[in-house]
Amino acid sequence: MRLRFSIFLVGLAVVWAGAVIAAPTQPAIGAVVVPPPEIREIDLDGLKKLLLRDPKDTRPLLVNFWATWCDGCREEFPDLVKIDNDYRAKGLNFLSITLDEVADKPRAVDFLKEMKATMPVVLLNVNDPEPAIHAVDEKWDGALPATFLYDHEGKLVFKYFGKIKPADLRAAIDKEVGSKQ
Amino acid sequence: MKKQYAVYLILASFVIIALAAVAGSGRNTSDLPAPPAIGTTIDDFKLPDTDGAEHSLKSLTGKNGAVLIFISVQCPVSNGYNERMEKLAEDYKARGVNVIGINSNVTEPAAAVKAHASEKHFTFTVLKDDGNKIADRLGATRTPEAYVINAGGKLVYHGRIDNSQNTANITSNDLREALDQLLAGKPISKTGGAAFGCTIKRVS
Repeated sequence: MRLRFSIFLVGLAVVWAGAVIAAPTQPAIGAVVVPPPEIREIDLDGLKKLLLRDPKDTRPLLVNFWATWCDGCREEFPDLVKIDNDYRAKGLNFLSITLDEVADKPRAVDFLKEMKATMPVVLLNVNDPEPAIHAVDEKWDGALPATFLYDHEGKLVFKYFGKIKPADLRAAIDKEVGSKQ
Repeated sequence: MKKQYAVYLILASFVIIALAAVAGSGRNTSDLPAPPAIGTTIDDFKLPDTDGAEHSLKSLTGKNGAVLIFISVQCPVSNGYNERMEKLAEDYKARGVNVIGINSNVTEPAAAVKAHASEKHFTFTVLKDDGNKIADRLGATRTPEAYVINAGGKLVYHGRIDNSQNTANITSNDLREALDQLLAGKPISKTGGAAFGCTIKRVS
């Protein structure tokens, strides 16, 4: 009896864990629906400006490069949304940059809506990606996803190529949002 | 007693979530050793094709060299280059340079790679790199990503195929230019070109 009940509980846990890991579901009736961020197009100069930042803005800056066609990007996105929600009030500036084609912008908007993402999102529209990739990091070859964290002085303090490990990224952010600005 | 079951429930949930997270994480490409420098001799290696037959790099290299391209079944960027890769293979085979596809994605088994190659009418050999050993050795991180090896086994080009996923916007045919320079006996003027692509899904 006890064994059967234990099996039942483990089964229940599997179902619950599946629900937690699965993509977000539709909002419940009466829930506040957050509008998706608008996706503004930028070129190489626009990217450089965003990375240089307004000198008055001393918030640590987290930049994530992604695309709807990239499996790893889609898989890590819920964690990034949580990070944005948890750290924005603590002073983190999160910029999301999609590499989707301009024609695929509606798909990117739908994805952001599904993710309930509210961080600023821009679409990098460049004919030759190489100057843009090297403007971000000389050692980056363009593999997606890629995530970069800059401190309050604009110095690169953390980077990750591939699907992020949320605990590692959070630890890096904790150091920056806790530091004197 | 109910409290004990609740503890079991919570513990079991944590274990399942942790296992799911680990299974999906893969390896960070930032941790990989740097790719071999241009001019490095690439040691011969053996990999099976999609039917399981082993091939060595040497046996697949043409009289003037080989192009290794890391490819994917599912990556839309890699798939956007299927026709270009096949055309490249046809154009340069006659000139003594053989194209070799390598699939290192842990998420794409040999059967899927075989079906994909057949569906896309690839005439070049596609090798399955289980355990991503060759991707690690060459420091390959994305699909598509190309390496050119000359007849002497030296790496002479590493980088992108061209500068745009959209064929209408190509202004720099990096890989073809490198091959033409190789075949003309000239030094290769540009290597290391970056382009957006899908991360190779490695074993953890």
